[in-house]
Amino acid sequence: MAEHSGPDSGKHKANHANANSAALLHGRAGAGTGAGGLSGGLSQPAGWQSLLSFTILFLAWLAGFSSRLFAVIRFESIIHEFDPWFNYRSTHHLASHGFYEFLNWFDERAWYPLGRIVGGTVYPGLMVTAGLIHWILNMLNITVHIRDVCVFLAPVFSGLTAISTFLLTRELWNQGAGLLAACFIAIVPGYISRSVAGSFDNEGIAIFALQFTYYLWVKSVKTGSVFWTICCCLSYFYMVSAWGGYVFIINLIPLHVFVLLLMQRYSRRVYIAYSTFYIVGLILSMQIPFVGFQPIRTSEHMAAAGVFALLQAYAFLQYLRDRLTKQEFQTLFFLGVSLAAGIVFLSVIYLTYTGDFANWWGVYAKIHIPIIASVSEHQPTTWVSFFFDLHILVCTFPAGLWFCIKNINDERVFVALYAISAVYFAGVMVRLMLTLTPVVCMLSAIAFSNVFEHYLGDDMKRENPPVEDSSDEDDKRNPGNLYDKAGKVRKHVSEQEKTEEGLGPNIKSIVTMLMLMLLMMFAVHCTWVTSNAYSSPSVVLASYNHDGTRNILDDFREAYYWLRQNTDEHARVMSWWDYGYQIAGMANRTTLVDNNTWNNSHIALVGKAMSSNETAAYEIMRSLDVDYVLIIFGGVIGYSGDDINKFLWMVRIAEGEHPKDIRESDYFTPQGEFRVDKAGSPTLLNCLMYKMSYYRFGEMQLDFRTPPGFDRTRNAEIGNKDIKFKHLEEAFTSEHWLVRIYKVKKLDNRETLDHKPRVTNIVPKQKYLSKKTAKRKRGYIKNKLTLKKGKRPNRKTV
Amino acid sequence: PLFAIELLTFYFSAKRTVDLSTHLAKVSAELNLANPPGGAGPAGAFLLALEPGLEPRLAYLGVQVKGEEEEENTLEVRETKVKGKSGKFFTVKLPSPLVPGAKIRVSVEMVFTHVLQPYPTHITQAEKQFVVFEGNHYFYSPYPTKTQTTRVKLASRNIESYTKLGNPSRSEDMLEYGPFKDIPPYSQDTLKVHYENNSPFLTITSMTRVIEVSHWGNIAVEETVDLKHTGAVLKGPFSRYDYQRQPDSGISSVKSFKTILPAAAQDVYYRDEIGNISTSHLLILDDSVEMEIRPRFPLFGGWKTHYIIGYNLPSYEYLYNLGDQYALKMRFVDHVFDEQVTDSLTVKIILPEGAKNIHVDSPYEINRAADELHYTYLDTFGRPVIVAHKNNMVEQHIQDVVVHYTFNKILMLQEPLLVVGAFYILFFTVIIYVRLDFSITKDPAAEARMKVACITEQVLTLVNKRLGLYRHFDEAVNKYKQSRDISTLNSGKKTLETEHKVLTSEIASLQSKLKTEGSDLCDKVSEIQKLDSQVKELVLKSSVEAERLVAGKLKKDTYIENEKLHSNKRQELVTKIDNILDAL
Repeated sequence: MAEHSGPDSGKHKANHANANSAALLHGRAGAGTGAGGLSGGLSQPAGWQSLLSFTILFLAWLAGFSSRLFAVIRFESIIHEFDPWFNYRSTHHLASHGFYEFLNWFDERAWYPLGRIVGGTVYPGLMVTAGLIHWILNMLNITVHIRDVCVFLAPVFSGLTAISTFLLTRELWNQGAGLLAACFIAIVPGYISRSVAGSFDNEGIAIFALQFTYYLWVKSVKTGSVFWTICCCLSYFYMVSAWGGYVFIINLIPLHVFVLLLMQRYSRRVYIAYSTFYIVGLILSMQIPFVGFQPIRTSEHMAAAGVFALLQAYAFLQYLRDRLTKQEFQTLFFLGVSLAAGIVFLSVIYLTYTGDFANWWGVYAKIHIPIIASVSEHQPTTWVSFFFDLHILVCTFPAGLWFCIKNINDERVFVALYAISAVYFAGVMVRLMLTLTPVVCMLSAIAFSNVFEHYLGDDMKRENPPVEDSSDEDDKRNPGNLYDKAGKVRKHVSEQEKTEEGLGPNIKSIVTMLMLMLLMMFAVHCTWVTSNAYSSPSVVLASYNHDGTRNILDDFREAYYWLRQNTDEHARVMSWWDYGYQIAGMANRTTLVDNNTWNNSHIALVGKAMSSNETAAYEIMRSLDVDYVLIIFGGVIGYSGDDINKFLWMVRIAEGEHPKDIRESDYFTPQGEFRVDKAGSPTLLNCLMYKMSYYRFGEMQLDFRTPPGFDRTRNAEIGNKDIKFKHLEEAFTSEHWLVRIYKVKKLDNRETLDHKPRVTNIVPKQKYLSKKTAKRKRGYIKNKLTLKKGKRPNRKTV
Repeated sequence: PLFAIELLTFYFSAKRTVDLSTHLAKVSAELNLANPPGGAGPAGAFLLALEPGLEPRLAYLGVQVKGEEEEENTLEVRETKVKGKSGKFFTVKLPSPLVPGAKIRVSVEMVFTHVLQPYPTHITQAEKQFVVFEGNHYFYSPYPTKTQTTRVKLASRNIESYTKLGNPSRSEDMLEYGPFKDIPPYSQDTLKVHYENNSPFLTITSMTRVIEVSHWGNIAVEETVDLKHTGAVLKGPFSRYDYQRQPDSGISSVKSFKTILPAAAQDVYYRDEIGNISTSHLLILDDSVEMEIRPRFPLFGGWKTHYIIGYNLPSYEYLYNLGDQYALKMRFVDHVFDEQVTDSLTVKIILPEGAKNIHVDSPYEINRAADELHYTYLDTFGRPVIVAHKNNMVEQHIQDVVVHYTFNKILMLQEPLLVVGAFYILFFTVIIYVRLDFSITKDPAAEARMKVACITEQVLTLVNKRLGLYRHFDEAVNKYKQSRDISTLNSGKKTLETEHKVLTSEIASLQSKLKTEGSDLCDKVSEIQKLDSQVKELVLKSSVEAERLVAGKLKKDTYIENEKLHSNKRQELVTKIDNILDAL
């Protein structure tokens, strides 16, 4: 509140101040519904207000929860996609073996023959959260299966996200905007895309942690209290344990502090907040095994350290300035600055030299590695997806940002930085749309709330001229001002009447209607997007017939379950890395590579096996102890996400490691096309992946209009219909041929020779033998054998 | 230890049918028993014997009397031992003792599992499945028999080989041996048939059946089934193309089967560790619910699968009570597929919390394990669980088991009360927490600040009210101007005066309170008071003017001018007050 030094520029500011003083009034109550709900029962406006905000938040939670259930209702309570299967599997391990066993878990089923130290290579927050909930429920004898806990975790946490967004927006603006923001974040597709029921992924809980950390940070900057800062650190710790996106926090908060310094907004509160946060947060974040010493070694965390040092220096200078004369101060200042610069320079050189900062310069080069580029989530965002995920909010949030910048204070500096950086990151990568969504919701809520306060609130007042003496009653009749604190309303009436005399009631009602219509369309859009785009488990596919009945294509689970039931428990399954987690989770078999793509060369080896011919592939597979090979083939039903369509990435990744053996150009036609039909390159038509995909497919005629072996995904008749295997054997193919599993045969007991045996050595013998009759031959061998046999026992007995 | 009735030697004539058309060997025999005339006396029981080779595979044995009126009485059978002879022996109690010279006809039914051995043991997808059965040409009996016939029913007419004792006649899928005359007791001669049998060789390798009884009207049944195709093992590749395109490819494999659930079954689910199995159909018939179960993948020889099936039943159909005495009558094992074989079954019956004096009546021998406790929703001391095992079961074992127990109905209230109590405690703690101050330190400054804030809040309302008074008075003045009724003006003035006095004094008292708190806001309040007295003066002045206007002592123009002046001044003062209030 101390920052309200500027001229009081209107109602919002005043409201804000009021809200703060009211919060102070109710500070002792502190608890409960967040809206200071005890200043008296329902007879008083504050009581109504807290009841109303409680109800709205509850409904937002409910709406957010239920709109995430499309997949559960249409399909079933099942874990979606790929990564969630790993999370589920490790949560299952945690729930059945205990926490320490989980931390020490060495998973020998992944990355054969390397294995994976799971405890040290995951962000355990998600698993621990789900495991904890499961444990508590089971303590209370509520026998919920861990799978259901995992499936419903993200929707439940979306409610918590709504509440923390409410809290944050309330700190930034007022309660009305907070409630709107909570409603927005509850249903906005940009967030739903990562938190539908079954999408058991880090992001589901991390957005809550992110928002809550920011709330506590704003709170600590506002109050300068160590209590709030410690809360903020704990929340940050939770965030670090949950998601790699914590880097965003540890850069945004220093940036906030830095900008505050630049804006001459340094205060003791900022100093206390940031110093405490940096030290405690740093120590806490290093407790996560996967993070370890990264916060003091990697470039991503250096900004925080730099700002920490800067803040200390700044505070020190402030202190000195009070004690020294101007002349002394200036000399000291220049001396200090040059010394600091020298130290920084030398240390950077030293560290770079010793290699500790080796990854300093190469961070963003990561994007050019094929394995990272091959993930669709890592593509740059298109404009369409901004609108698709945020709808009207993407248009209104700049207005909210403008309001914030216009009435700037410490925490609004924060939200402005948050918005700008999030927009930048969202533009770089589709996946980071997720971090943009909350801030867009908050700022749009501010914009909408502002508009409504102007247009809706005043309109109502006009209908009810303030004749009552009691301002309390006045308040009740003014939904627009509902969020203002009691007893301070009337005095603004005179002001408003003066300033907004120009707006006629018609304009006001038109604007209000327009806004409401926008919001309605937003809600409709959100539901539609959620239902159509983000609610498919992708493990189960559904197709619809002409009459509307639904066919479920359950091929993935069919094949995985076959693996689980009918192969050796320690069988090793080779597949492209996309399916690694699913094989481990559903089939419970050892995989060679999986979605935790930490070992590029191993993946490249698998890619090489897939793109080589059968003999070369067999050698690789033998060396990797492969028992089964699993591929996805969509040619029968026209499923586009199959392995042939991903094949070029396999080739590229293999080429990156084995440029001598695999060349991408070999897989293209001379015209530079990637074709599977007769015109396709012979290397492609004879590589293992092609053969496995199309084995016996050439005989198959799908309908009468197309020739046999017509691939529906690529709309082409395949080029190699006569596929024979020498070292492999079809082990299983699912009902719609979506998943094909091949067994790698063991070496034959007797090597069958492709060529005629060399005869030069045996020429005289052969002549000799050929003349022998069977009898003579037998006698000949017998003699030899007895000669040998006779010797050995003698030696032993002697 | 037997029936305490003397066993006598009988003369037998036996007509035996061995049904090998499925994966079971079902032997039914019609026996004509006779107590030889001039015997030792009436015989109450007779002895049945099983040859040593088949004896461990016996799943079911039932003996019935074929009466003249077609009604069938099941006879009591007990296992016994005969000295010096291997194999299994049973004594069968006759309905009434058989006097010497009398005759009786009984039919014996025996079911053997896993006696058909696939040969060859491994086949490819295109091949058919052949099995070998090894049995006895004769009906194995401890008594001499006069005549015997054996008829072997096979699954198909495709017979590879069979033993040819007594030159059996062969027609279609039937082999008939005998009649053999005057066979001595314990005669054995190996009967061997090698034939094509493509019937589903499905075996439930293990099954757990959980029955959870709730006195709120529901019985939940859940069966966890491990299935295996125990026929000839698939060798070589499995080709989906052949399987889809050629009807006789994989002829011995199992694509689907039917499970018949009780007619009242509801909320049926069919799933496994990785979720719902979408390939199933439910058909609700009048007397049952038929479920077509398709495992995720077709089951070839040697392949196995695992699934869970569950459903709810209304308890009134299975739970009977008399006061506190309850009886649960349910099937010990239920239908899974036709000709089912269960190698190992575990049944768990979960009774409501607080059930006592549990007693189980089973139709056949079961192995009770130690009772367990089960905790689920709102349980405090656990529900008793009856655990029972049985191995090697077939369809004939689908029979009712009765569980008797006592349950105090008051205990039904326990769970709702628990919920009520929990909510009560929750709300109570919230009330306590909100009403009481739990802070460990008292901050006097904050306390004072809060007090001041509270007082200023009050001041604000009072000032606002006071300003409202003026407006009221203005209205009164206006009214007076229109109606020229001096009494309205006077009464308005009076109320203004009195209420104003009250409010002013209240504000003054608050002001003094502020002073004692040591707040500098006190000055501002006094300023407000000052300004307010000016406002009041103005208001009164304007009212006096209005009076004069009405009385005609003042011209209208001047009045309007004055009024404008006054209102401007007032507005100024009010804004000043507002500003001060804002600053508060």
